[in-house]
Amino acid sequence: MSKIMTVDVLSSIKGAQSSETVNKLFDVIKNAQPNNNNSSNNVNYNCVSLNDLREDVVMESSALEKKIIIENFPKEKNGYLVVAKVIED
Amino acid sequence: MDSQIKKIHQQLVTKQISCTALVQEKLDLLKENTHNTVNSLLDKIALELAVKVDAKIANGEEIGLLEGIPFGIKDVYMVQGTYTTASSDLLKNYKSAYTATAIQKLLDAGAIPLVKENCDSFGHGSSSENTIFGAVKNALNTELVAGGSSGGSAVNVAKDYTVFSIGGDTGGSIRQPAGYNHIYGLKPTYGRISRYGLMAYASSTDCVGPLAKSIEDIRILLNVMSGKDIKDQTTITSTEIKEDSILNNGKVKTIGYFKNFVNNTSIDPKIKADFLATLEKIKEQGITIKELDFFDSDTLVSTYYTLAMAETASNLSRLDGTNYGNRIEGDNLKDTYAITRSENFSEESKRRIVGGNQVLSQGFSDEIYLKALALRDQISDNFDKDFKEVDIILSPVTPNTPPKIGDSLKDPLAMYLSDAYTVGFSLGQLPTLTVPQGTSTGLQITAAKNQEQTLLKFANFLKETI
Repeated sequence: MSKIMTVDVLSSIKGAQSSETVNKLFDVIKNAQPNNNNSSNNVNYNCVSLNDLREDVVMESSALEKKIIIENFPKEKNGYLVVAKVIED
Repeated sequence: MDSQIKKIHQQLVTKQISCTALVQEKLDLLKENTHNTVNSLLDKIALELAVKVDAKIANGEEIGLLEGIPFGIKDVYMVQGTYTTASSDLLKNYKSAYTATAIQKLLDAGAIPLVKENCDSFGHGSSSENTIFGAVKNALNTELVAGGSSGGSAVNVAKDYTVFSIGGDTGGSIRQPAGYNHIYGLKPTYGRISRYGLMAYASSTDCVGPLAKSIEDIRILLNVMSGKDIKDQTTITSTEIKEDSILNNGKVKTIGYFKNFVNNTSIDPKIKADFLATLEKIKEQGITIKELDFFDSDTLVSTYYTLAMAETASNLSRLDGTNYGNRIEGDNLKDTYAITRSENFSEESKRRIVGGNQVLSQGFSDEIYLKALALRDQISDNFDKDFKEVDIILSPVTPNTPPKIGDSLKDPLAMYLSDAYTVGFSLGQLPTLTVPQGTSTGLQITAAKNQEQTLLKFANFLKETI
């Protein structure tokens, strides 16, 4: 496979092209002069402390939850999900 | 307006109305409404729950404050067994397998869900026109947009079809429609309310929040939904806000406003004049007003959209029609993904997904994505500095009045720029409340992180003052 992937391939959207409107927004960023070009991500701490990590627990889904998940299968056979044909390239 | 929740609670307890009649009345209003606010009605479950509340009251049992109060839910929240479409073709037949934490807390408190509400598809929009259910019409003028993305929620509250609604705000999606429809809408501090079960748009700014007709209702709902959640590890601990703690303004001495928001040519002259007149009235009450420097609108909007598009491209990559969603079969797996996504995403969603993948790809990420992250840090630093000088930042909600239906779809750049006053506070993860006062599209009150109490207190002060 080619190492250069175009936006339509990256996005899995046929015929997708970059938008002129969106490029105008990106141009503003390209021309901006932040006082520090490398984000230290030091302002919004959203990461979880190691001391605060939850335990790994296996939670059994309820019968109703399982039923709805199966109901949502786009294609189903004998209660199993049928996936599209895979072709290696 | 006083608390609708308390008023209805009193009417239920004193048997002036039955819960079943109340729920039926609201369901009828929703069903007949021509504002396109409804994606699906939850009539069966709502009426079943209402019967239970009536039985409790008849038995002389005590009911909680939210018990029997009918509410609406933006159609991006999981509610087990209900259709959760995100107003998209891709998920038009998708049923939630579980319930979002914020909604579960309301259900546990006895509130009754009536409706999954129309919105921009996956939150992608500021007008609630990017939807398969028809553009939502403004509550005050049906030729105008309702705002977005939580447009259906705002109109339902404004028209009294729901007592309150739960919206989602990533870059202004609660605050802007609240302003366009003259109601209250709160975007809390990021992490105060769990995002578990909210369909992700941009995870680093997505917030759950209430839309209602009174400050007191906002306080009640915020208290119920807040709290740490093991299922969303970005949640933070918060304390309950007591009713009497927000009644009088003893704390706010200095407020600030961004002078570049008002001193530019893109703001509507009437909104500008009304905003400045509001500042004068506040000044007359002995509060100091400070002018603050801030980033220009173009930088704010571009930083926000760059990051939001990058995050939504990642978040929506899971929607490929494999396990759920409207799969369209192609020749092979990759073809199936591509056709499914091409046919089912709206033009606006595709524009954002492609933009996001563009900035995340090699060669662009340093020049755009990482630079936008650095700008975001700078914006947040700026807020930290501001809140050392002022207690509250006041701003208009939007530079202009709501556009006509159809105009935003023709000019997406204009739509992005209409978010100029809301996106900065999202990037800063700050609590911000829209109040239906001051300008024709309301005012935004912003406080430092976790200072919702100050914010609500100041809102009460404004209610008395202007």
